[in-house]
Amino acid sequence: MQHSELMAAPEALHPSLWRASQLGQGATRCLDTGFAALSAQLPGGGWPSGSLIDLLVQQPGSGELRLLAPALAQLPGLPIVLLQPPHPPQALALAAQGLAPSQLLWLKSAGSKDALWAAENILRSGSCGALLFWQSHVRADSLRRLHLAAQGGNTLFCMLRPLHGAQDASPAPLRLSVRPAAGGIEIGFIKRRGPQRDAPLFLPLQPPSLLRRHATLDRPVPAPASARSILPELVG
Amino acid sequence: MALSPLAWAAGVKPGMRRAGALMLAPQARLHERSPELEAQALQAVALALLQYSPLVAQGEEATLLVDAGASLRLFGGVRTLCRQIAASLRALGYTAQLSCAPTARGAWLLARAGTRRGRTLSMASLVRRLDRLPCALLPPARPWLDWLEGIGCRTLGQLRHLPRPGLQRRCGAAVLDMLDDAHGHNTELFVWLEAPPTFRASLELFDRVEHADALLFGARRLLQQMTGWLCARQFAVERIQLLLAHERGRVARAPTVIDLALGEAVWRDEHLVRLLKERLAQLVLDAPVIGLTLEALQVQPMAPPSESLFPEPGGTPQERQRLLELLVARLGAENVLQASPRADYRPEAANQWLPLPAKPVSRSAAPDLPPGLPGMPRPGWLLAQPIALLMREHRPFYGSPLKMVSVAERIEAGWWGQSQARDYFIAEGRDHAHYWVYRERIAGSAEDAAPRWFLHGLFG
Repeated sequence: MQHSELMAAPEALHPSLWRASQLGQGATRCLDTGFAALSAQLPGGGWPSGSLIDLLVQQPGSGELRLLAPALAQLPGLPIVLLQPPHPPQALALAAQGLAPSQLLWLKSAGSKDALWAAENILRSGSCGALLFWQSHVRADSLRRLHLAAQGGNTLFCMLRPLHGAQDASPAPLRLSVRPAAGGIEIGFIKRRGPQRDAPLFLPLQPPSLLRRHATLDRPVPAPASARSILPELVG
Repeated sequence: MALSPLAWAAGVKPGMRRAGALMLAPQARLHERSPELEAQALQAVALALLQYSPLVAQGEEATLLVDAGASLRLFGGVRTLCRQIAASLRALGYTAQLSCAPTARGAWLLARAGTRRGRTLSMASLVRRLDRLPCALLPPARPWLDWLEGIGCRTLGQLRHLPRPGLQRRCGAAVLDMLDDAHGHNTELFVWLEAPPTFRASLELFDRVEHADALLFGARRLLQQMTGWLCARQFAVERIQLLLAHERGRVARAPTVIDLALGEAVWRDEHLVRLLKERLAQLVLDAPVIGLTLEALQVQPMAPPSESLFPEPGGTPQERQRLLELLVARLGAENVLQASPRADYRPEAANQWLPLPAKPVSRSAAPDLPPGLPGMPRPGWLLAQPIALLMREHRPFYGSPLKMVSVAERIEAGWWGQSQARDYFIAEGRDHAHYWVYRERIAGSAEDAAPRWFLHGLFG
């Protein structure tokens, strides 16, 4: 009887057990993403801190900073390190999202060796709130090393890489892809501790504008054109 | 005569002649014994040992006596203390015989006897061990060795059992005094060493060093001495200077200076060793180095660490400062930047990133941000140089034709320097990525003059 109960709910045995149809509930600390729809899809209900998060971005400027900003704003007073960003980051835009300029550190490095050294030292010291690391080519053993270093601390560690890195294996327990979409961004789940999800998740994420002339729609749907509704001279 | 382990392995023995030693080890280097250098070495070791106890005295025959009785709890027992002292000595590059005993003279005798594991903690075991040592160890008894051997007195135990008045009449009071010191019957008096008021230590390298990272070993020896000095004077160091003396060729060369300024004063050497390692790794030497000098330029009284009951998340501010110093040492000060936005309308002037200040600034110096910031369209990435956009069918084109999705934000400022007159728009490409573009307004031309479009930012 007891045996059958255990078999009915094996996930109750240990926090690191889960069924293939459920989201994992690891014991790691998580930071709320600020997007309810996304948090519901992540194991633990947010960005896991103290582990490697792989964000594969279609191009710089796909909305990756706005995606991460609500989580980063939950780390008041702790330094947020931007290591080797593709372009100069703008402090005002990040300040508008709730990050104090004195928190922001921009690290440039001469080569990837220096960058990896810096990332490892930041993670090992554990005195920074978050580390965002842009690197286009990185070897699997370096990734594994960084993941190990991240596990020693509680730093939110995000690696931002181009989309073509999705085919390579990675030790990261969470891998997401970010693509811009009409009215927001689409997040693809490449790897997570939970069921496979093929359909991307849409998050409404508009850049701030001085004046919105139109109310934002959830998704702009093209109006169906019925026959004879368009004048032939317009089409021609 | 003293030997290096390598020479010992080659078969050289103490008491050999010069020619015999050179035949066994042709590449051996023979050095004359130099009393000044020995005294300097002893002084260096004494300075380093001051980190374990303020009571360090110089004994006879190249020995140092440390009274560590009061600090055994602090270092976690005798074994740990001995291990730490041995590690310090190894870092200094010397070999030594360590022994400890309840009395200083007893420890001295055990060390001079060269017994392995010369650690005794109780008086009874010290007496047992002392009784087995030969008489020749006592310096005042040496002139009477023949006589002592003649009466069959070879060990200190036998010496101790001789009648005291007769022994004193024959050999003088010094022998008995020293024996009493060792057994704790007398109070021992020492002249404790004083740490000098300023710290400056030099080291001559045995060879000409051409690679900067090979200098770390020497620097570590000097830092070890500085740690002892800092602990003895209760100081923490804020700024140190390492001078690399070059070989004098035809022209005299000024020494290379490595200046380390710390945001947070320290008195332990781990952080300094890490910083120096990164600095030395970047240094390119233009001449071989033959000597090192370390100076403590700025010191302040040591502040005891204040521990809070609950550990702070993300480590202490001191740890954070140490991490930043380490990053600056490796990457360079111009590559570790902190945001400090300026009050300016022009986006590239407002987005200012400055190297970290040497001292952590207080929170009150936070920059004031423009009002209404959350609604301001500011992209996460601001390009270092605006990119001129192609025009296709009267539309700016960047990968795909751009569609303006916002009203214009006119920024017109900088008449005192670089004047700018721009209309900023948020544009959307066909792939739905958002761009921050502007149209240059040329003064004096009509609105419908051929507009020039630039890409200035990406909404990350």
